[in-house]
Amino acid sequence: MEQEAQLVQQCLQGDGSAWEELVRQHSRRVFNICYRFTGNRTEAEDLAQDVFLRIYKTLGSYRSAYGGFATWMTSVTRNLLIDHYRRTKRDRITDSLDDAMPVVENKASSARRPDEQALLGELSSQVQSALTRLSPELREAVILRDLQQLDYSEIQTVLAVPEGTVKSRINRGRIELARILQQMGVRPS
Amino acid sequence: MTWTCEQTELLLTDYLDGLLQPEQQRAFDLHVNSCERCTPLVSSVTHAIANLRALPELETPPRLVYNILDATLGPRETVTGWAAVRAWVRSLASPRFAYGSISVAATLVMLITASGFNWKKPKLADLSPVKISRNTYRKANVLYGQGTKYVSDLRVVYEIQSRLRQDNELPTNNENTVPESAPQKEPGRTDGTNPSTPRQQNRANDATTHLQVLAEELPVLSGKLSLVLIEGRTR
Repeated sequence: MEQEAQLVQQCLQGDGSAWEELVRQHSRRVFNICYRFTGNRTEAEDLAQDVFLRIYKTLGSYRSAYGGFATWMTSVTRNLLIDHYRRTKRDRITDSLDDAMPVVENKASSARRPDEQALLGELSSQVQSALTRLSPELREAVILRDLQQLDYSEIQTVLAVPEGTVKSRINRGRIELARILQQMGVRPS
Repeated sequence: MTWTCEQTELLLTDYLDGLLQPEQQRAFDLHVNSCERCTPLVSSVTHAIANLRALPELETPPRLVYNILDATLGPRETVTGWAAVRAWVRSLASPRFAYGSISVAATLVMLITASGFNWKKPKLADLSPVKISRNTYRKANVLYGQGTKYVSDLRVVYEIQSRLRQDNELPTNNENTVPESAPQKEPGRTDGTNPSTPRQQNRANDATTHLQVLAEELPVLSGKLSLVLIEGRTR
């Protein structure tokens, strides 16, 4: 954590290599959060780039007392993802209507890049699909807890909600995800 | 402590994260084990979490870092002049370049040796294309001749060995088939002994041994002979 604070300090003094180091250290995590939230690789890449642009501009507002740099970065990522979700809500309503039709759903899945398809595998693809069908509040809580392995206090910091709400969202998110997976035919063996 | 299905649903995450009090834990287990509604719920949520955690972490797209750096620090400066030459020379010191160079050098040494170049007495004339092609052609011919001869020798050896094996097996079969109670007597023999033993049998064994030695030596002898013949022909 001290090393990161030092890197941030160097960045603020105009050290480009320190900024490059920060980007290299955190780009994978930010990209993964964006991908799990959106379920779209290109969108996730653009969003991850936007996250780092925002971090670069607001780096001066980071205080180590706020928590680790990673937590702060996750918080920025989450805020940007929610902004993006709200901005694109109209498009998604149309998409969700399309998703109700199985033919269109198949068409959407076949439009995914072949390397992406091979990478995810069928089960991973189904789990990702179920994840993107959760409401954004439940989705972000589940992603932070079960994919990013953050503890409750870190999630509380990132989401800026009380711990009880964090627990409740994680709980509801997991139950809802299990229900969607069952609907999709993914059952416990 | 009484436990309801609503409590199970509400405190499922606490249960799965091990945050329940021991008494609550016991009541939860008791209820879930006997409730038709809660048993599949706990099972499916546990399964969903396991599936989530098994999702692979994706690699960062290669261009993402460069795009971010370009967007924040500005496009990277292109190096020109002596600085570019120095950077190129520095890049030669990388292990990948060293491995590549070694493998290329080893391949060249093998090819030059195969073309008949004498490393002990190197001559510049040996590296002329005409000489290299002539040497390569000659070596290829010699190799082809050796190979063909070796294969035909092997065929002869196998044929001899199979015939010897047949010869060895035949008397044994005869002894087994001919009844002992009716020995055939030859004219002039009154003692009733077997005509092929022991002296005639010893002679047959000697002949077999000689043929086997000949069969084993044949590839070497014929190989040498073929080499002499081929070299004479190429000269």
